[in-house]
Amino acid sequence: MADKHASQAPMAWGDDQPLVRVEGLRKSFGSLEVLKDINMWVMPGEVVTIIGASGSGKSTLLRCINLLESPDAGQVWFKDVNLTGPKTNVNALREKIGMVFQGFNLFANMNVLDNCTLAPVTLKKMSKTEAEAEAMRNLDAVGLTQFAKSPVTSLSGGQKQRVAIARALCMKPEVMLFDEPTSALDPEIVGEVLNVMRDLAAQGMTMVVVTHEMAFAKNVSDRVVFMDKGVIAEEGRPQDIFTHPQHPRTREFLARYLEDEPKEA
Amino acid sequence: MAKVDRQKGVRTSTKPPAPAGPHRDQPARKKGLGTFLREDHPYVLLGTSVLALCGIWLSMRPRSAMSFLAPYYGLEVALYWVLVAWVAVSVLALLTKILYKDDYRARSPFASEKAKPIERYLSYVVWAIVVVFFLDRAVMGFANTVSVAISSNSKPQGDDLAAVIFIVYECSGIFEAGILTTIELAVFGTVIAFFLALLLVFVRIQVPDRQDNDFVRFLKIVGSGFAKVYSTVVRGTPMMVQGLVIFFGVFSMLRDSGLSTQQANAIWSTFVAGLVVISLNSTAYMMEVLRGGIEAVDPGQLEAARSLGLSQWQAMRKVVIPQGVKNSIPALSNELVINIKDSSVLSVIGVFDLMFASNTAAGIYYTQTPVYAFAAVVYLILTYVASKLLNLLSKRLGAGSVDTTPSSN
Ligand SMILES: Nc1ncnc2c1ncn2[C@@H]1O[C@H](COP(=O)(O)OP(=O)(O)OP(=O)(O)O)[C@@H](O)[C@H]1O
Ligand SMILES: [Mg+2]
Repeated sequence: MADKHASQAPMAWGDDQPLVRVEGLRKSFGSLEVLKDINMWVMPGEVVTIIGASGSGKSTLLRCINLLESPDAGQVWFKDVNLTGPKTNVNALREKIGMVFQGFNLFANMNVLDNCTLAPVTLKKMSKTEAEAEAMRNLDAVGLTQFAKSPVTSLSGGQKQRVAIARALCMKPEVMLFDEPTSALDPEIVGEVLNVMRDLAAQGMTMVVVTHEMAFAKNVSDRVVFMDKGVIAEEGRPQDIFTHPQHPRTREFLARYLEDEPKEA
Repeated sequence: MAKVDRQKGVRTSTKPPAPAGPHRDQPARKKGLGTFLREDHPYVLLGTSVLALCGIWLSMRPRSAMSFLAPYYGLEVALYWVLVAWVAVSVLALLTKILYKDDYRARSPFASEKAKPIERYLSYVVWAIVVVFFLDRAVMGFANTVSVAISSNSKPQGDDLAAVIFIVYECSGIFEAGILTTIELAVFGTVIAFFLALLLVFVRIQVPDRQDNDFVRFLKIVGSGFAKVYSTVVRGTPMMVQGLVIFFGVFSMLRDSGLSTQQANAIWSTFVAGLVVISLNSTAYMMEVLRGGIEAVDPGQLEAARSLGLSQWQAMRKVVIPQGVKNSIPALSNELVINIKDSSVLSVIGVFDLMFASNTAAGIYYTQTPVYAFAAVVYLILTYVASKLLNLLSKRLGAGSVDTTPSSN
């Protein structure tokens, strides 16, 4: 896993500095405190998975990273820019932060190709043909070029999610956020989406993945963050978290997922 | 599972399986009386008999001056008796059927395979006879009324149909202008209102974004508040009152600004005033329709667009509003139909629409009911045609574009 970054060209932003940094993040919905003082960072090329029980605030944390949810307190840094700063151009920074949703959220009024080209054409002042060429490259990477002209409703869930990934990649993001990308899928097609994500990780994409797919967390991620009731209860390398969880809540949570599997898996 | 099984068990035990045997091929037993009577010859005997009765009734109506059957009295009597004979045969067939009940198919001569085609051809003859009577009595009768009415010098007395034909003919210019104005008011008013409503709904749904500075924030709050108040006021007051307030309000403003009455009338004609009123009124309703359509769009659509870096405005324009407008098409087209009808209240400010034309004609000839009934028929035709056209249009829009149904994504 460590050598997967070796082939990557050095980045302008130092490889030893966090690409995304979350400091003292707090968020409440009404009287419900969903995030309580979250501190987290993501290094370039790193794949971080966030696991935890339902309602522990995983989605909210992810949505705070690209400011779809605005934090009540604390800061979110992307490289050396404070996203939560009052003068920050959030729209421009969101171009660098791709996001994939549980519900796909493909634009229902467009076909697959237009879904992919809308943002590049609108924001990067790319010509339509240029954007389409780039879109076709990304659709090819997820194996869906033959559906380029199809309406999005004609796709299966797995295909929709792969289009959503391709759409996000068309903006050439530096980090990708995934919020339970396979939770709305039938078990037999979860694999096709996870494979695309695995490829992406192997190419060195920086990823933050909220997931209930423990095998993915264990095998693909560099670091696992366990959230419990709005705080990060425990984090560490997957082999440590999955074999020697320190926190009792982590143990309890993992026991539910791992009870059927052999311990060394 | 256990519950379902138990219910099944109960059902089978209370209702034993139907006994097999001769009863099973007697469907007439289980059907109602109506079904039994209609069986085998629903149209040929029964339906045509009803038609024949209509023909008999028509033949007993007085002949008009334009009747083409008048010279052939003998033929007419013969046709009349054919109809009567047909009804008699039908009654006979029905009685036979009731008499033989379950095995009438085998025993009734009217149900035999030989008789059936004959009955069918005879029924065509009956149809033809009824059509002849219809043409002679109804169509020629109407044509005669028309020709008498329009050649008359004064309003025909005692016959409402003749009276209304006379009046419509005499006032055809008035009615033409009125109908045209009604159509123009409704169509232009609806189109203008649609674009105003698009603008207004955009203002209405603004929510302060985290990047907005205080000025933009202020504008958004004021705009959204204005749209809310506008909608409440317009939808909460009658259009007739709005018409009076706007018409006289603007008129007196023009007069106050130093224009003469003629000049003010030239600028602020009743048609312009009516168009303004109907547009402003319809805007409020259409805004609410659009708002509903836009709010029905999955919020995930906006989030996905924002997550790619699109601004609030870009995301609304490219993703949310097109879907919201599409959601609203059926209710929006209904607004045209409503405007065709509701433009009638604008006659109160003197807009020369169909209602005003009817008022005028009714006043000239002092004939109310027939004239207003005519107006009602014209409104009905206009709204019916408009809704059919709009149906076609929205079907085409729905089918022609990429994706009509909001999906789960
Ligand atoms: N927009 C909102 N308004 C009010 N409450 C919210 C909102 N979004 C989330 N919450 C609440 O915040 C809590 C945390 O939500 P969040 O979606 O972050 O949990 P999660 O860890 O992602 O759970 P899951 O695994 O079910 O997706 C939940 O109790 C949820 O009901
Ligand atoms: Mg979630």
